[in-house]
Amino acid sequence: MTNTSPLNFVHKVGKFGDTNKKIQNNILKVSEINGLLIFQILQYKNSSFDVSKIRLDGLSFPSSLKSTSNSNTRILWIGPNNWLVFSSVLDLLEKEKNQFNEADFAITDISHSRTIIELEGNLVNEVLKKGCPLDISSLKDGDCANSVYKGINITIDFISESPKKVRILGLRSYGESLHHSVTDACLEFGYDAI
Amino acid sequence: MLYIKCPFCGYRSQKEFAYGGDGTIKRPELNQEISDEKWNEFVYLRKSPNGKHIELWHHVAGCRQWFKVQRDTVTHEIFQTTKMNEEIK
Repeated sequence: MTNTSPLNFVHKVGKFGDTNKKIQNNILKVSEINGLLIFQILQYKNSSFDVSKIRLDGLSFPSSLKSTSNSNTRILWIGPNNWLVFSSVLDLLEKEKNQFNEADFAITDISHSRTIIELEGNLVNEVLKKGCPLDISSLKDGDCANSVYKGINITIDFISESPKKVRILGLRSYGESLHHSVTDACLEFGYDAI
Repeated sequence: MLYIKCPFCGYRSQKEFAYGGDGTIKRPELNQEISDEKWNEFVYLRKSPNGKHIELWHHVAGCRQWFKVQRDTVTHEIFQTTKMNEEIK
């Protein structure tokens, strides 16, 4: 299995766009997040298992359009009985999989099939509004949503309000195109690729 | 542009959805004899109403769930959306 990151050939470190004479807080930071364990948990429709009993790295499963998180792990709601987990604890799935009965859950490791772009800065919402039809201003940290960004299917994870930070997740195969769309939207404001 | 209320995610832009056709079509029961005419009707023939219409929509860029929508085909007004196992009143 390759460890080459999805944006290896396109994500260049440096300052781009109109960054001159701008106060540091108004310069967006764009980074690629990789090396995380990512897996999807689907509870079958005929399952009556009570998921509120499950704790994954100490976290309960979030309700609709929400996420739960700690310093290592984030769990996102991505549909009814459907969650996306990403964690820097790379053996988390191995350690916790005994909580999930095969008759109730399907768990799929998709660590190598996602691109994650992290945006940070006061103008994050403006960048998102350029390509995403969601009511971005109404979303806060702890929210997550599946949507589109300039026609590409994405999941947006709202991580923090101060500083404003979001992660945009897309399919790995759309990663370069998504990166181009996001950085193109950032150019107007100036961004620091880190 | 339509603004559609997904029963799971709330109001979202039409950009996130895919149209799935007439929501009133029932598949013929399994293991029952069916004439070619009835099968042809099920597979191909659709009404094209001028007014209220029950449709299927797929929240393809969202929660990936199918649901029912009652929409006016003339004004595009959406009256109701429900989960697949619920009836439109």
